[in-house]
Amino acid sequence: MINPEHDAQVVTRIVQQDFPLWMSVTFYLAAFVSTAIFFYGCYIQVRKYNRGQPFSLTHIKKGIVDMIKDLLSHRTLRRRDRSAGLMHALIFFSFVLLFIGTVTITLDYDILRPITGRMIFWYGEFYLWFSFVLDIAGLAFAIGLLYMMYRRKWMALPKLNYARSDRTQEEPDYDRSWYRFEDWLFLWNLVIIMITGYVLEADRLIWLQDDPTVWDYRWWSPVGTLFAEAMKSMYLTSEGAESFRYFLWWFHALTAFLFVSLLPFTKAKHIFTALVSLVVRNRRSPARLPITDATAESIGVRSITDFNWKQLLHTDACTKCGRCHEACPANASGFPLSPRDMILSLRELSNNTLQKIKIPEAPLLKVVGDGVNQIRPETLWSCRTCGACQEICPVGIEHVPMMVDIRRALIEEGEMDPAVQTALQNLQKKGNSIGENKRKRAAWTKKLDFDIKDARKKPVDLLWFVGDYASLDPRYQKVCQSFARILKTSGVDFGILFESEMSAGNDVRRVGEEGLFEYLAENNIKTLADCDFSRIVTTDPHSFNTLKNEYSELGGNYDVLHATQLVRQMLTDSQIPLARKLSKRVTYHDSCHLGRLNKEYDAPREVLGSIGVEIVEMPRNRDNAFCCGAGGGRIWTPDPIDIEKPSELRMKEAASIEGIDAFVVNCPKCMNMFEDAVKSTGSDDKLEVIEIIELVENCLADD
Amino acid sequence: MKILVPVKQVGIIDEDYEIRDDGKNVDVDFLDYEINEWDNYSWELALNLQETYGEAVEIVPLTVGPDEAEDVLLNCLAKGGERGIRVWDDALVDSDSMAIAQVIAKVAEHENADYVLTGTLSSDHSFAATGMCVAGLLNWAHAAVVSKVDITPDAQQITVNRELEAGIEEEITVESPAVLSIQLGINEPRYASLRGIKQAKAKPVEVMSHKDFGLTDAEVGEMGSLSKVRKMYAPEHSQAELIEGTVAEQAKRIAEIVKELKGDT
Repeated sequence: MINPEHDAQVVTRIVQQDFPLWMSVTFYLAAFVSTAIFFYGCYIQVRKYNRGQPFSLTHIKKGIVDMIKDLLSHRTLRRRDRSAGLMHALIFFSFVLLFIGTVTITLDYDILRPITGRMIFWYGEFYLWFSFVLDIAGLAFAIGLLYMMYRRKWMALPKLNYARSDRTQEEPDYDRSWYRFEDWLFLWNLVIIMITGYVLEADRLIWLQDDPTVWDYRWWSPVGTLFAEAMKSMYLTSEGAESFRYFLWWFHALTAFLFVSLLPFTKAKHIFTALVSLVVRNRRSPARLPITDATAESIGVRSITDFNWKQLLHTDACTKCGRCHEACPANASGFPLSPRDMILSLRELSNNTLQKIKIPEAPLLKVVGDGVNQIRPETLWSCRTCGACQEICPVGIEHVPMMVDIRRALIEEGEMDPAVQTALQNLQKKGNSIGENKRKRAAWTKKLDFDIKDARKKPVDLLWFVGDYASLDPRYQKVCQSFARILKTSGVDFGILFESEMSAGNDVRRVGEEGLFEYLAENNIKTLADCDFSRIVTTDPHSFNTLKNEYSELGGNYDVLHATQLVRQMLTDSQIPLARKLSKRVTYHDSCHLGRLNKEYDAPREVLGSIGVEIVEMPRNRDNAFCCGAGGGRIWTPDPIDIEKPSELRMKEAASIEGIDAFVVNCPKCMNMFEDAVKSTGSDDKLEVIEIIELVENCLADD
Repeated sequence: MKILVPVKQVGIIDEDYEIRDDGKNVDVDFLDYEINEWDNYSWELALNLQETYGEAVEIVPLTVGPDEAEDVLLNCLAKGGERGIRVWDDALVDSDSMAIAQVIAKVAEHENADYVLTGTLSSDHSFAATGMCVAGLLNWAHAAVVSKVDITPDAQQITVNRELEAGIEEEITVESPAVLSIQLGINEPRYASLRGIKQAKAKPVEVMSHKDFGLTDAEVGEMGSLSKVRKMYAPEHSQAELIEGTVAEQAKRIAEIVKELKGDT
């Protein structure tokens, strides 16, 4: 590899050879200044996060392991945008190599050499391999960056357009052209560092072309050598190259210093913030919202400093990639909400206030309002807490808990849609959101030709928590009757709580009425404590979610099953006497609370499969399923009539599939939404909205 | 400026209910309780005034009712105000509007109130008389069915809009002090979060008896009332009939019914 005639110590790269003293001094001074700016920037950022509320981390080890896995596999970046993910991987891994390379040179040239008087390892074979690897890494880096430029300039992706749909053109935060400038600055800065690096390399090769310890080994820098060949063909001589060298060297160094000093203040900071965000993320948070002390003087987020440091850091991790913007059902329907814009508004608000030496006066810290970088109430009330944003965020931002935290403060101040207020008052008075008398709760059982056991009085194996929409919505009552017949026919020992059951409170919690949630949950927990049962089952994914994930925080620990999980188990055990199978082709809609929030995608599909139903998937399914629009309390608020509702968009997605005859749901709220949407989109001659439970019941023997 | 807001806990019933054995009221087993809807609006008006004028305005909710009625005061205090007053004594059972007004008027005097804001009526008994009686007893001005009001502290007189038949509004000036009976829709009452209601328990509620104001048992309760419930019952429902068939058949049936009702068969 190294020619025996050459001294291996000599086969290295000259760095500051022939530099006059002032030049070396200036260089180290510039390096020091840019590093100092970098560390000052980091200090400002950390001080900003520290101005948020304390937050103690749990599972930090697992967080780190998960982050490393995310990083090495780039799995969060490849999802639903494969080419962007792969190109980012090129940029990331080559950046890491180039960074290690720079550190290596600094270590040997700037630290060890002055101490020992000679290079310790950066020469000979090691140097040649080093040179080769970094040269290729630089190429990969450039390809990745050029793709990102192409993506911004020519692909014109809607998700990369930062103009806001919830602002008018006159408003100062409508256009956000600074963000575009920042993107391009980031890309150009890196591209220029890369190109000048190659040109500098080529220039050095030409300058030293007569030195065999340089020229003979030139192909260990293949890309640099190609540049050199090209420059030579343009008659660049050794002398010319020598005189050109100083300019190139300084230009390369200064653009690199610029990058280092800007890093904590620009988009580039996601290099750090995204990693920490991935470590501290809580994947379960839309399913189990953070608990709050309901007895505290005030709860929720009013001021930007009411967020905890982790949430402030999340806002800085956002790279504006727009995946959440695309996934959000409210945004798709034209509601004034984009999860990305909410995060970015909060970021700007915290940058403008908490980066200052002194924290400004309280009014300037207010999160909700009509001002620039404030969140409007209608934005907050547009959210369906479906978790689609959080699911797809590549850097682990938790939008939903932040949304709910602000809502908690709005609820305290009584700032909400009158329809939500009515629902909450009904829940306070009657334990259900519809405002029906408590005694009506079990009225649906009267149509059955058998009695359902009263779980309050007799021990049961399976306690069925019916849920208020399931109990009181006339369409869904039929599903309850079907489920009762399935359980009865299969000989299951089950019972319900009749009028003692209250709303489980899942949506109450998501609206932000924490006190009412606790009241409902504590009442249900008290009722359940007096019952003798082994497991809880429910057809309602909302009740399922909160009973399973959130009641434990208030002392209610249960083994909770969704109806489809129970039915799957019963079908596997041949416990349900099926008289026939169905020959239907359907499409299946994942409800957010069973699917995305609780990751149960298979049970409903397997149930459908075992009764002979063929599923044709919609383009958006499983973790990418599109919310019906009813979550987060939106079922209580009528949608404006002049928009296409999320349920209608979803129904059209289903109706575009050829050869299916049903739209299968597994949730009372989805059913309510889609029964309307199937009519309003004119799909009712083609599709029937039906519950999985009803399809299973159709397979039982006729009486 | 001090504003006294009498609020009432009302009983609500569903389709299923039974009348008490003595036939004078609904059986309590079938009653749920809540704050009278109108009183949400009068309290909201008081809250808005306090928010506008700050410490220049003191607002006090008052209820005349037993222990359980304190819930309505908590509901009010969850939204604002610093203290509440509840007046009760067993002698107050079966009071009518006049007897209740005796108590409210005494509290208003005792508190040196400048205004008393009542609801236009209460949804359970619908007398719509309490506010008027209070004004009479205090010898203050009274305006009923108030749909808009402009109160400023220290004003000698205030401008009030009243809602009349057929959507007509009447604008009047009223001398201060005054009793105003507030109509629904005058504002948008806020929501009292359950947390707020729990926290309101820390605010003081003064519990008093009519005797503390120098009223005798004879001035309140059934004895102090000007009216007395004799009987409460559900009137017979008239029959409704769904007429089906062809147009000719339907016309024939309608003619029969008309004849039946006219009495010539």
